[in-house]
Amino acid sequence: MLVDSFAKNRPAIIAIAIVLLVFGIVPMFGSNYQISIATEILIFALLAMSIDVLAGFAGRTSLGHGAIFGASTYVVVYWTSVVGGSPIVAVALGILAATLVAAVFGMLASRVSGVYFLLLTLALGMIVWGVALRWTSVSGGENGLRGVGRPEWLNDPTVFFYICLGIVLTLSAVIWRLVQSPFGLTLRGIRDSESRMSSLGYGCATHMFIAFTTTGFFAGVAGALYALFNNFVSPSTVQLSQSVEGLLMAILGGIGTLFGAFIGAAAIILLENFVSQYTARWPMVLGFMFIATMIFAPEGVLGAIRRIFRVGKKS
Amino acid sequence: MQRRQFLKSTGAVLSASAFGTLATPAILRADNAPIRIGLMTPLSGVVAAGGREIAEGFNLFWEERGHEIAGRKVEIITEDDAGNPDTALQKARRLVEQEKVDFLFGNLLANTGLAVANYVKDNGTPYFIPVIAADDLTQRQRIRNVIRVAGYTASQMSRPLADWALKQGYKRVATIGQDYSFGHEQCAGFAQVFSEGGGEIVAQLWNPLNTADFSPYIGQLASMNLDAVFAMELGADATRFLKQYSDFGLKGNLPLLGAQNFTDQSVIRTMGDECEGVISSAHFAEGSENPETRKFVENYTKKFGKMPSLYGFSHYSGALWVGQVIESLNGDISDRDLFIDTVLASELPNSPLGRPVKFDDYGNPVYDIYIRKVVKNDEGKFWNVPIETYEQVSQFWTYDPEEYLKSPAFSRDYQGIKK
Amino acid sequence: MHGEATRLPTAPKKRDKVSDPVLILDNVVVAFGALKAVKDISLTVKSGERRAIIGPNGAGKTTLFNAITGVHMPTSGRVTFNGVDVSRKSAHVRTRLGMSRTFQITNLFPTLTVSQNMQLALMGTSSRKFSLLGSAEPTDDDQERIDDALGLSKLRERAGAEVRDLSYGEQRQLEMAMALVSKPKLLLLDEPAAGLSPAERVIVTDIVQSLPRDLTVILIEHDMDLVLKLVDWVTCLNNGEFLAEGSPDSISKDQKVQDVYLGKARDHA
Repeated sequence: MLVDSFAKNRPAIIAIAIVLLVFGIVPMFGSNYQISIATEILIFALLAMSIDVLAGFAGRTSLGHGAIFGASTYVVVYWTSVVGGSPIVAVALGILAATLVAAVFGMLASRVSGVYFLLLTLALGMIVWGVALRWTSVSGGENGLRGVGRPEWLNDPTVFFYICLGIVLTLSAVIWRLVQSPFGLTLRGIRDSESRMSSLGYGCATHMFIAFTTTGFFAGVAGALYALFNNFVSPSTVQLSQSVEGLLMAILGGIGTLFGAFIGAAAIILLENFVSQYTARWPMVLGFMFIATMIFAPEGVLGAIRRIFRVGKKS
Repeated sequence: MQRRQFLKSTGAVLSASAFGTLATPAILRADNAPIRIGLMTPLSGVVAAGGREIAEGFNLFWEERGHEIAGRKVEIITEDDAGNPDTALQKARRLVEQEKVDFLFGNLLANTGLAVANYVKDNGTPYFIPVIAADDLTQRQRIRNVIRVAGYTASQMSRPLADWALKQGYKRVATIGQDYSFGHEQCAGFAQVFSEGGGEIVAQLWNPLNTADFSPYIGQLASMNLDAVFAMELGADATRFLKQYSDFGLKGNLPLLGAQNFTDQSVIRTMGDECEGVISSAHFAEGSENPETRKFVENYTKKFGKMPSLYGFSHYSGALWVGQVIESLNGDISDRDLFIDTVLASELPNSPLGRPVKFDDYGNPVYDIYIRKVVKNDEGKFWNVPIETYEQVSQFWTYDPEEYLKSPAFSRDYQGIKK
Repeated sequence: MHGEATRLPTAPKKRDKVSDPVLILDNVVVAFGALKAVKDISLTVKSGERRAIIGPNGAGKTTLFNAITGVHMPTSGRVTFNGVDVSRKSAHVRTRLGMSRTFQITNLFPTLTVSQNMQLALMGTSSRKFSLLGSAEPTDDDQERIDDALGLSKLRERAGAEVRDLSYGEQRQLEMAMALVSKPKLLLLDEPAAGLSPAERVIVTDIVQSLPRDLTVILIEHDMDLVLKLVDWVTCLNNGEFLAEGSPDSISKDQKVQDVYLGKARDHA
């Protein structure tokens, strides 16, 4: 039985072990700055995974998850700085807020698919962005809200990094379990044929609603960690480009691979931080990298690795 | 000679003994390592044009000095903040934690500056902000190590223009501004002084950033029976507004007043007669007769083939200011507290403004502010020429700072208008 | 199964007698705007009966199927299934009540395996579909049902294959297996042999013939030879209207039917 479940979960176990190994040693030789980059990669990998559950398994491309992520960030920063509340409560409230926002999004978006889903989630995300920009008395307008810093026990970058690593890896195991569950199978069924699913007795809208809300929860956790990490929030955290970036990370790593999100997040964040030292045209480099991926490995980096392994096994 | 003057002015902070004990190790250290400066500026994104001028002005100063100050080499590490506060934060972290810079400089948009300011608040890295104009950074939310060298608060510059407008006999004025805090603050400075002086702010219009068509706004302004319009626009919005104001036939019939960026070189250098005659107020006027200003404008034009904008000027002057303080410390800026105190107590005697500048008690420079008019120069280019000077204008105008700070910060809802 | 009975519209608990009607249609009309695709159809199908619905293209056969299964709500008229009025019930509610169908156009989950397709077919009426963190492995009971249905459809060896790798005939077999796995009371087959090679037709015929006799089957089919072999009773539609009803023999001799349908079918062939 144990052996059996090991075989079933082998991809996840291997992936988590690799992430643990690669990321776990960063603080041993990295500077504080490199640790902070690694922390950021972890946080965004979680966001990208939440997007990948919908994109890769349910076949729905969301452009609203950046806003859900940012809603959590706003609530955490607001609660700690403006209200002066405890960071633990703030994180709980932030995740709750993100989950509620996702539930509202999910209620509206669960009945549509394809380009309509894309546009509807885009529009909903824009509403969150608009509120963040206009509700100046609460959100600080385009200047945003400045945080009060992490509590003493979390302040050390290495401690915070390991906590993020623990949370993100735990949640990635949970997300893996989710997509492998009976419910996860129904999402894949909806992706392949929604009409067949309803004739089999599934209320597809209900499944999409649950999926959207659940992924909103994961995006919310990422957003709350980001609040503690960045100690600042402004409308740029909830704007469209945040959702797009999360989606690009998922695509680059490989849609439907889940753990590809770590590769995608690492590639994009490292590129932003290191290529920009050499050229102001770094967004172009990002664009070319993306185009190259689409042409040579449309299934993403992890997808391509998987394919090569599979071909190797067959021959 | 200049150096001696400067030392005299900073003498209040640096007692002779303190200076003496520090001098020796400072010289030793000076030979060792270069001074590392992190410059953050938007080189991509919507404000990239202004961002490049920041880099130009800043680098111009250091090139003139051969990248050396007080016997130490100077290394400038430039980072693109993309006009995005999250990116700015990320880059600030890299510059401080990875590149170990001695201090940070730059940023253009208020939200990027505020994000970085909040970051350096915790780690004490000195951060100099020549164009981050958010009022509260030198008012209600001061951070000691965030210093506005050669900078200004948003509302500071538009107040003298309101006074000037009252003196012209204008009674009814409407404002139009970009709908974000830099716009709110600049319009409020004008509206507050104008209304307190007995004028009437007939209406306040707010356009979103990147407004393509101003005709609905200009149509409203034309129908309000006004004596003048105060416009706060920058970048492409300013160009479009000026053009459409002229197209609608308002130019020449309804006097147009502008905030400092409205007629900045970054806007008018590509424009024609549409911008002629607009009145604005700022501490810098590229068309000034002052020999120091002349020299700077000539140098800059020779180097870059265009006259300096406020962005380039402010960063040149900011670099000059901090450079002089580093010289006064014999190149030793390892004691951050001393460095910051020295900067705050210092004075900029020889800037391109051609007149000394010093900080008020809240870390914001006090300037002689020009009322400027856009005219064509001998070479057929438009520039801002001073027509009147308001001397020694602080961010608090004529108010008592303590009283002033009890009022709320300016916003779209609170414009300080006296009813 | 897992407690679905509590959430379902209640079906009468009394034991169905063999002669009890499973499905009753009363004056069912399906209109799309001004176009009436099905006009006033009434029919009664008894438990355990094998019924064919025939008619030329455009006769309204698939539309009638859709009205029975809930893909379209009837514009007027009543659909009674096992004594419950399901006229306004959605497709998945009818599925839970024990209806099951195949589609004329193959509608499967191409990127999933045969097993996973079967699991989805099975979970539709179970609360397991909402298990977010449970194992996707079918329960022993479910596995047995999947194996049985795959066995009936002669697909057991292909359980691990992805559906997009199956032949068309195998996909039709899987359609049937999926319809059977939920142990329906009423099975509706929409042209189960369409597009199949003669050899594949034999397989399908075998499958239908070997279905348990207590299962009621309604099928749409063009191939009269197949119909004659498989069913007890035939209903013929034309232009959305009822044309004739009777045993396969009598229908194949019916002049009206021959005129509208068989004649045309022969022309086609």
